[in-house]
Amino acid sequence: MSNTQYAIRNTIVGGLWKENPVFRLLLGMCPTLAVTAAVKPALTMGLCVVFVLVCSNIVVSLMRNLLKPHLRILMFTLTIATFVTIADLLLKAFQPEMSAKLGPYIPLIIVNCIIICRAESCASKNGLVISIVDGLAMGAGFTVALCVLAAIREILATGAVMEINVMPQSFIPWAAMSMPVGAFITLGLVLGLINKISTKK
Amino acid sequence: MPLKKVKYFIEQSWLLIISALFFGLLIAAVNASLAPQIERNKINKLDNLMKKLLPQAEKFKVAAELQIDLAKGKKTKSTIYKAISKNGECVGWSFNCSGAGFADKIELVVAVDKNFEKMAGFDCLSSNETPGFGDKIKEAKWRKQFDGAPAENLTLAKTGNIEKIDSEIIAISGATVSSDAVVNILNNAMSQIKKQMTKIQN
Repeated sequence: MSNTQYAIRNTIVGGLWKENPVFRLLLGMCPTLAVTAAVKPALTMGLCVVFVLVCSNIVVSLMRNLLKPHLRILMFTLTIATFVTIADLLLKAFQPEMSAKLGPYIPLIIVNCIIICRAESCASKNGLVISIVDGLAMGAGFTVALCVLAAIREILATGAVMEINVMPQSFIPWAAMSMPVGAFITLGLVLGLINKISTKK
Repeated sequence: MPLKKVKYFIEQSWLLIISALFFGLLIAAVNASLAPQIERNKINKLDNLMKKLLPQAEKFKVAAELQIDLAKGKKTKSTIYKAISKNGECVGWSFNCSGAGFADKIELVVAVDKNFEKMAGFDCLSSNETPGFGDKIKEAKWRKQFDGAPAENLTLAKTGNIEKIDSEIIAISGATVSSDAVVNILNNAMSQIKKQMTKIQN
């Protein structure tokens, strides 16, 4: 296996498992807690983050040799803010219901640590290909993590996933799971489980 | 040596200046191409809600923009729409109103008959009430008791027959604050709008 292939494989595994932004790095906790009451908004949020992450990684990677060390954070924020605004406008135009449901959490992607972390630790040091792969892998890791949490919460809160019933008739919904308390409990338990699995290895 | 300083400044920040300009143009272009669609979505949402409340209406015309006083000296704006049927007759009025809920602001769209005497129902534009309790204000089952209720002085009762249509509104059990908020918003908005609208029409 050549060096690049190895690096790409490493990046993908890193994004999805070893350095999963939500479960391993504990980055981007705000949307993780806020929009995981149901799978649909969580998926929309995840896809928005993938879009922003890939675009900002491309731009940062292309200008990495021109960056001045003391101005780099400013450049990162400028780039991220641009793509988040574009994503927000796209959602408002084509998914108005989702946009209303996610409310301020889409503009808040600007201050999401995952994106600035990837710009700083990956895109500003690596070439275009690795940066794009990293954006996709990290974004996918974030989306999967959000969807897992959202699926658990949605099933327990309403007995449905993506608004399709999966639980038996006799199931009593736990309203608490769709409230903030449900987010903290679910995240805590899932994090514990993941730590248990990873320490065994 | 101001020239030296300018040179240093440009040397350090040329990338930032150019990218800011470029990104600004990019956002402006995206916004220009999507703005009409976003505006249409907003109008469609309100139109659909109003059509559900007043099915006999064919179109809605903006009749007035009024100011409503809320409690504690706060004010809010309300747009009044005249509902016009196929034959061009006025079949009712519809307006948006808002006020404090249990967790966050509640925004409602309300429909009344043409004489401002009876309600034709209401719907939620936006609310953030507790899931499973307060957010039942969005459910058709609870909202049905407003359908045909008098358009003033609604009162809230803890128990009673939810199917009887009168000025007595039965609260959602476990969500008295949210129910009370809706009744208060409606009473406040309807009485003030009625007063201002009769003034305008006379």
